Amino acid sequence: MNGIVVGGWEFVWAAYALTAIALLAYGVMVITRSREGRRRADAGPDRG
Amino acid sequence: MSADVKVLVAPRDTTPNALTAALRKELLLQWRTRGQLMAVFVFGAAALLLFSFAIGPSAVALRTFSAGFLWLGLLLSSTLTLAESFHIETEHNALEGLLLLPADARALYYAKAIANWLQLTLLGAALVPIMVVLYDAGTSRLPLLLAVIALGAAGLSAPGTLYAAMTARLQAKQTLLPLLLFPLIVPALLAAVKATSLVILGDPMGELRSWLGLLAAFDLIYWSLCGLLYGRVIDS
Amino acid sequence: MEAPFVSTHRFPWVLLVAGVICLAAGSWLGLFVVPAEHYMGDVQRIMYVHVPTAWTWMVVVLFSLGSAISFLFMNDLKWDTRMEAGLEIGSLLAFLLCCQGAIWAKPTWGVWWDWDPRLTSTAVLLFAFLGILALRKFVDDPTRRAIWSAVATIIASIDLPIVYFSVKWWNSLHQQQSSPETVASTFHLPLRLNAIGILLVVIALLALRSRVAGYRLREQLAEPPSFITSEPTGELA
Repeated sequence: MNGIVVGGWEFVWAAYALTAIALLAYGVMVITRSREGRRRADAGPDRG
Repeated sequence: MSADVKVLVAPRDTTPNALTAALRKELLLQWRTRGQLMAVFVFGAAALLLFSFAIGPSAVALRTFSAGFLWLGLLLSSTLTLAESFHIETEHNALEGLLLLPADARALYYAKAIANWLQLTLLGAALVPIMVVLYDAGTSRLPLLLAVIALGAAGLSAPGTLYAAMTARLQAKQTLLPLLLFPLIVPALLAAVKATSLVILGDPMGELRSWLGLLAAFDLIYWSLCGLLYGRVIDS
Repeated sequence: MEAPFVSTHRFPWVLLVAGVICLAAGSWLGLFVVPAEHYMGDVQRIMYVHVPTAWTWMVVVLFSLGSAISFLFMNDLKWDTRMEAGLEIGSLLAFLLCCQGAIWAKPTWGVWWDWDPRLTSTAVLLFAFLGILALRKFVDDPTRRAIWSAVATIIASIDLPIVYFSVKWWNSLHQQQSSPETVASTFHLPLRLNAIGILLVVIALLALRSRVAGYRLREQLAEPPSFITSEPTGELA
């Protein structure tokens, strides 16, 4: 490694934003599906 | 094909008998379908030709990467031969008919894996002259080259046979087999390409032994692991 | 095989909230409070999110492996639901790692991908996990799906150290630059906070995702048996 890397804030923002968005989006998806699953389980055990 | 099934049903007691019987059946099967192997060879040779078009007519570049091309060609061909090795079992649901004690399931696995290994080694050896001609990648150390091909083919064959068994009855088997196999055999591919390259281009720093060691270790681990797990795969 | 019991504990929510708080605090520290590192400059701040993601990813891979082995030994489908969660979240984290690594590599080395052994192995395992998830989509029978993906997960997980070692060796012969130091300077607080934060968030996601898998399995197993309509398999012979 030689010298000092100057700037690069756009990369830093990109990395943090990507991570936050990915975790958030996945979290929302899982929570939604979990709620939906719970609702269906409570509503319809009288099937078959 | 029922004659082949009976070969396995009879000897049920000791593992060596089951293995020999299963192996005999597999080799007989491969002999009977040798026409297909011919077709796969043509496919492999065509692949090697196409690789040279991708690189261009630079003799130096072609020779430098000849090992990589050979193994990529062999890897692509293996998706055809591996899938084919279970085709006959699915046709008449013969696989369920062969379902025996766990020891015999393992014998069945090793018989198929050995047969596939022999087939891939043969294919690799047959592709060598193509490689020599197209890429000017000749070498005087032919026995060593064949040994490397055999070791690398073993690395493809063990997990390949397992995954071929899994995907044989699935609709998307042609996609799933390479999808599952390719990430797994990365170490074997790396080591085989490197070792082959060293045999063809020369080995000034004596690294060949280490790469062969890595390849052998991979083979050992996966031949044992896959054999161990095969019983559960076939059980369902 | 029996339908797995799906837990309704509150603990994932607690973990989720705690994790988000830690992540927010750690990221704020890492972005605004901690001074820029001497050689790498501000780009080094990426490490405060990259390294914790890497650690958590390893935990998820081990969790997937453990669930796979547990299922094969205990034949309890709840382990299959956990393994499914581990495969999916493991793939997500691996993908994130590759992106973060590329974003870090571009200003540092000038290329998006520098064949770093750790990241390359992560990419290989990402493809392996995606392949197993694809396999699951094509197998209808829950038991067979569970067994086969457990076997594939064990095989892929055991391959990870071999892949790492072989890529490291393969790369070391070509690499002109030495492997980058992850955290050269001693700013541990943002690193630790983010590590705890991501870990807590991921544990919560694993719990919730395996619940989703559990609900789906229960619905699938509650359906009336379809032996009337399916073709004979020969197993009754």
